[in-house]
Amino acid sequence: MANDKTSMQLVANGILKENPIFRLALSMCPAVGISTTVMNGFMLGIAVLFVQVCSSVTISMVKNLIHPRIRIPTYTLTIATWVTVIDMVLAAYLPEAYAKMGIFVKLIVAFAIITMRLEMFACKEPVGASFWDGLGMGLGFMIGMMTIGLVRELLGSGAILGYDVLGFKPLLFFILPCAGFFVVGLMMAFFNYIEVFYKRKKGFTS
Amino acid sequence: MRNIITIIVRLTLSCLIAAFVIGLCFVLTSKAKKHNEHVNEEKVIYSLLGYKGDAHPPESLKLSVLYRYVVSDPHGKSIGYLVPTGQGETTAFSFIRLDLDGNLIDQKQVAVGAEDAVEQEGRDKAIQAALGPGAELTYADKTIIVTENGNRISYLVTGKFPGFKTFVSVMLALKPDFSVRGLAILEQEEDPGLGAEIEKDYFKNQFIGKSFETLKTLDVVKEPIPEEYLKALESRLQKEEAAKIREQFKDHAIYALTGATISSRSVTNGISGTVKKFAYRLNILDKVIKDQKIVVPF
Amino acid sequence: MNLSRIRLIAIVALFCSFLPGLVHGADLISQQSFGEKNEIVLKFAAEVDKLKAGNINNYTVFEEQDPDIRLELVSATPNYAGTAVSLRFKEPLNTAHTHIVTVKNLGGVEKATATVSQSYLGYLFSILISALLINNFVFTKYLGLCVFFGTSKRKTTAKGMGVVFTLVIVASATMSWFFFNFILIPYNLNFLEIVVFIGLVSLTVQAVDTILRKVNPILFNSFGVYLVLVIANCVIIAVPLMMANNKYNFYETFMLALGAGGGFLLALYLMSSVSERMQLARIPPTFKGLPIAFIVAGQFAMAFLGFSGLKIF
Repeated sequence: MANDKTSMQLVANGILKENPIFRLALSMCPAVGISTTVMNGFMLGIAVLFVQVCSSVTISMVKNLIHPRIRIPTYTLTIATWVTVIDMVLAAYLPEAYAKMGIFVKLIVAFAIITMRLEMFACKEPVGASFWDGLGMGLGFMIGMMTIGLVRELLGSGAILGYDVLGFKPLLFFILPCAGFFVVGLMMAFFNYIEVFYKRKKGFTS
Repeated sequence: MRNIITIIVRLTLSCLIAAFVIGLCFVLTSKAKKHNEHVNEEKVIYSLLGYKGDAHPPESLKLSVLYRYVVSDPHGKSIGYLVPTGQGETTAFSFIRLDLDGNLIDQKQVAVGAEDAVEQEGRDKAIQAALGPGAELTYADKTIIVTENGNRISYLVTGKFPGFKTFVSVMLALKPDFSVRGLAILEQEEDPGLGAEIEKDYFKNQFIGKSFETLKTLDVVKEPIPEEYLKALESRLQKEEAAKIREQFKDHAIYALTGATISSRSVTNGISGTVKKFAYRLNILDKVIKDQKIVVPF
Repeated sequence: MNLSRIRLIAIVALFCSFLPGLVHGADLISQQSFGEKNEIVLKFAAEVDKLKAGNINNYTVFEEQDPDIRLELVSATPNYAGTAVSLRFKEPLNTAHTHIVTVKNLGGVEKATATVSQSYLGYLFSILISALLINNFVFTKYLGLCVFFGTSKRKTTAKGMGVVFTLVIVASATMSWFFFNFILIPYNLNFLEIVVFIGLVSLTVQAVDTILRKVNPILFNSFGVYLVLVIANCVIIAVPLMMANNKYNFYETFMLALGAGGGFLLALYLMSSVSERMQLARIPPTFKGLPIAFIVAGQFAMAFLGFSGLKIF
């Protein structure tokens, strides 16, 4: 069952075509909840990337040993294990960032995106392809989170990565918790608009 | 039937592997976690005392930690303090028990190493052993007394009180006359953008310099912070100028955060209550230590 | 109506054992409660000497965790019959803490102690309301969004999902409580909490699935499809984790789970009501589907922000 895509194509697929946040609209909770700064998005992105890559590789390695009847429990167990690992590592080495992310690191275990990738990709494809796919998905999630964080941090507190760039606070509203919904909604609409625009243009030229 | 057995065997096997991975990770990280927590706490303490970044605290600076317990035994409740005793390098600890009126009940040697005293588990065990059975211990809080060449220069007090949403936990640095020297917010879960601004300099620095008398009746006003005061609080001015402006607002009420008056008020009241309780307790403890001629490093 | 009354009585009966404050009032003091901001009201079982009852030196009051710090009394005013006294304090009381009042030399009793605390039922109720409205899991904690947007298109779906979800969450949270307190804590296995909690959730879902299939196939046909979705919901794992974080006892866990489930049901119902209307509205094509749903949810979240800081007791 060889995969005809190259590794770079798999990564690009996760970042652009099947971006977990904007295109697949999965794992929205952290996208709304803690995307107040770029740094938060980056840290959670790292955690998700780690869990996604590790689980994909693990499942891909043992895919022939998994009994079909206990497929889902095995996925859950794998994900939970890796989430526990990253949770402990972050708590030990980056306590400050960990405190900011609060409960969301532990909640990675319930993220639909990871289970979905295991079910759709890792349990069929070889280890190498699963690794690249996991990397792409994780990066896609990370970039999505960071984009939302960028918009909210810039508009809410006039800063990027904690550095004051604007010198004033344009709209405090964006840093308020409920603004996450608006930012995600508006950005989705924006991406839709680009897609529609692009298709229309293509349609005219061809 | 065979199917079920294979399922069970495989599931057990995967559980075992998972447990092994998690356990290994736990063993590897738990030490680092404790170490980092300790380092973090030290960083907060030294930055409160004014040694930020590369500025290393002098050798003569010494931290003595007092642990306060509430002891319940058949005779009623009493307050116990675990204090280091002896001059210089402290190796011995005493548990001083006071009744509710502030009179000494007894003083017992506690056999605990300086390293073990930091960890709650080892400390509790040692005190329990010294008190004997029948007494029930409840850990209350800890206070750090900072001395330089034997003179007290600061107290570090921790406090925890309800904020707007959940609890706010703070560490205060006080001067020997109980005026505020510094404030650090250790934990809070207020709304970002609103209540969470209590962590920002322009709010928490307002407490610096407030005297004990002012703190007792400290109020919160819903007014915008004057521009020059704001600059001074965010350390955007020259030192002398900032000090002058701060002096001017020394006894002024706390300016509430915009949109988070309740958070501001609960922090203000919480700090005022923490300092009042601490001052009351320390005076009693000091009197007992003096009367009993207990040799302490602070 | 009748059912809810029975349930209320059952809850009261259950919690009475948890109320040492009300039962343990010694003989002299028959009832004690917080009055105004800085007031405690004591009722005596028998008539007492009004002169003595009015002497503030006969009373000592402190908060349970700070027994060495006496609260400063300003006045003690007995009522006309001498069966009650109102104690006024210099500073407002922190009613969240338990206060202990000791009375000396009054009514022939040398010393009587009473514990004044907010009623435990009220506290439990406040946990419920908090999880339901103030800290609604969907609109103020942003959890369970995937399922939320997936199942809030029609009212019937929303109701089905909400009810199934509440059932599963209450069952799994109570089980998690037992596991956490009797296995994880005693053996110092806290770090296994994620694995154990997610395992229990899967187990509950599987159990509900099997039981419902056998007992009530009709109900299963209408609700069974939602069971699979429950696992992918963050709320269901967040509740046990919060329970572990806050060290809630059994009743508190139960209330939190009930509030979380109810809050999710409420959010789904509100959202689906809007969604049904939106199908008739003219929405710009780029906003169709999820974007507009997010913006509506954002407006709900803003509305729910108004609940924050709400205090009932």
